[in-house]
Amino acid sequence: MEGHQRNLYLYDRFNARVAGVSRDDVPTLRHWSDELGLTFPLLSNTSGYMGMLFGTLHKGIPMFARRTVVIDMWGKIRYISDGSPDYREILLLLQKLHQEEGRP
Amino acid sequence: MIRPLAAAAALFLLAGCAATGTPGDPFAGMRTGEGTVIWQGEYQFSPMPEPWQLLDLDEKDYSVAFFRACNHGAPGTYPCESTVAYAEEPFGYSRDLDERRKEFFRRFLWAARVDFDEPRVQHVRALGEEALQAETVGYERVLKQKVLAQVVFARRGERVVAFYFTQWRPSDMDFDRTLLEDFRRFIASFRFLKPSFYQRLR
Repeated sequence: MEGHQRNLYLYDRFNARVAGVSRDDVPTLRHWSDELGLTFPLLSNTSGYMGMLFGTLHKGIPMFARRTVVIDMWGKIRYISDGSPDYREILLLLQKLHQEEGRP
Repeated sequence: MIRPLAAAAALFLLAGCAATGTPGDPFAGMRTGEGTVIWQGEYQFSPMPEPWQLLDLDEKDYSVAFFRACNHGAPGTYPCESTVAYAEEPFGYSRDLDERRKEFFRRFLWAARVDFDEPRVQHVRALGEEALQAETVGYERVLKQKVLAQVVFARRGERVVAFYFTQWRPSDMDFDRTLLEDFRRFIASFRFLKPSFYQRLR
């Protein structure tokens, strides 16, 4: 999370936004966000619906598996990666998407 | 006006450790004729002198790190040991040096349950630019240990990088501040050989 906060100025440069999704409730996420000083949104999805949608919900585990998904401006999923985010890979993709954005 | 979003990243969250052991010369093939080494094709520095040992790290928090035990033996004599490291991505996120310092000390050695004194902050120069040095002592009151930490926050392009010195001691033992001289020499020798990934990202 801190890595994304560190890269926010670069995401801005590439016209991208970031949001975190978790099964924690709002007060927990608010506390966590304040503690880490995050300025991007964290979304509380206690029902786990988004986990089903993105395939990060595993039977018997009450939390989402860690996954990074990048969606382009046309709503198309362009990248999925599990585990700790590979920030460099993400930034290179966002740079490429930003270049595509300007094309007719 | 807000431009349409090019991309949105949805993240599913939630969770790293050091391994040691470097037989032979850990810098074989990296040494230059000037007493320095070229590390990862990215940095050039004078390695810490013996008995400092290179740490082989699994995590991405540090780019290079060294360890020295009080008995000059293998790692594992905690809490009597010192470490020196260069980190490309120190804790925190601000690009302002003082803000980064504050963020850093909220996370640094958090898992070791250390209470830090208010750091003594000093403006210094590192990597050819203005930098910030923060020094403090942390106390682990349950295990009766203490740690001397000196961190130099410096710049690489737009981003903040850091050099760390930590020295653990039992609470009734004095710190060996002479080792800070090795740390200072390490920083003074440190050079970037090329622009960073972030400097190249345009």
